[in-house]
Amino acid sequence: MNDPFYNLKDSIKKDFEGFSFSEERKNAVKETIRKKQSHLELHYWKEETLRNILDSLHDEAKHGYEISTQLFQKNELSFKNNEGQLYTLLHLLENKKILSSKWIEDKKYYSLTAKGKKFVATFERRGSKQHGSLKNLMEEASL
Amino acid sequence: MTELEEIGININSIENTEQIISQLMDNYSDDILHLVFSYVKNRTTAEDLTQEIFIKCYEKLNQFNNKSSIKTWLYRIAINHCKDYLGSWHYRKLNFSDKIWDYLPSKSKRVEEEIISKDVANSLMSAVMDLPVKYREVVFLHYYEELSLANISKITGVNSNTLKTRLKHARELLKSKMKKEV
Repeated sequence: MNDPFYNLKDSIKKDFEGFSFSEERKNAVKETIRKKQSHLELHYWKEETLRNILDSLHDEAKHGYEISTQLFQKNELSFKNNEGQLYTLLHLLENKKILSSKWIEDKKYYSLTAKGKKFVATFERRGSKQHGSLKNLMEEASL
Repeated sequence: MTELEEIGININSIENTEQIISQLMDNYSDDILHLVFSYVKNRTTAEDLTQEIFIKCYEKLNQFNNKSSIKTWLYRIAINHCKDYLGSWHYRKLNFSDKIWDYLPSKSKRVEEEIISKDVANSLMSAVMDLPVKYREVVFLHYYEELSLANISKITGVNSNTLKTRLKHARELLKSKMKKEV
């Protein structure tokens, strides 16, 4: 036997017999995920944060880092030290068909969809008179 | 058609992310658990870390771009997580106190041996587990998970030729170890 690892797989398999990721463990993962899902509801987010993101995509498609930099410049600090959350929100807006995304080389670019633009226009027309309706509008827009 | 679509999953739907993770767990959780064990050498820690790894996957799922296979992607997350753990303050502190136990009377030593023998029943595996991490890693991925060196390179970011050399060294280390024991 030249290769000392020849039998390794069978040998380790024996050691690992019955050592598997239990249903309890799987359920714990699912439970944690469910708790995190609340971030995936629009009402979780601040009105202003939503607005800042839509504004930053008004003119052109941007990738996450660009959006994040711009938010930072606007003093929008919701994602400070928590950049992953930005992607969660972008993904959510994508699901609502307010944003669309496309991979260009290694970066994912986000832009407003036709629906998203229409929605932003409607919102701007109504303006601050109906402050607080942004989320409702979004929910409507995504129906 | 992408790999996820093949197993009937639409990655763009948030309602589905939980389902995706659930499916990933059904398909790969034992592999990941064993892989993690090969790094951390402790069953409970391996279970804890595996749990964290799937939660991490859930968080990163929208960054998965289908350029690599989902399995490669999952393994990369798992390995990085293990290495972060091994480099963490918590782990190093734990290890340090283990070393202190070595200087204390024999009771603790026996406990340690018991744990090892419970976790690792045969000598080939315990010999592999004694290898330094960089060798153990390639041995485990290649022989147990049966991944090609090209794939291991993708997962670990280590050059294929380096991996080949490490595998060779690992074999030599193990042979000389086995000889000593005989």
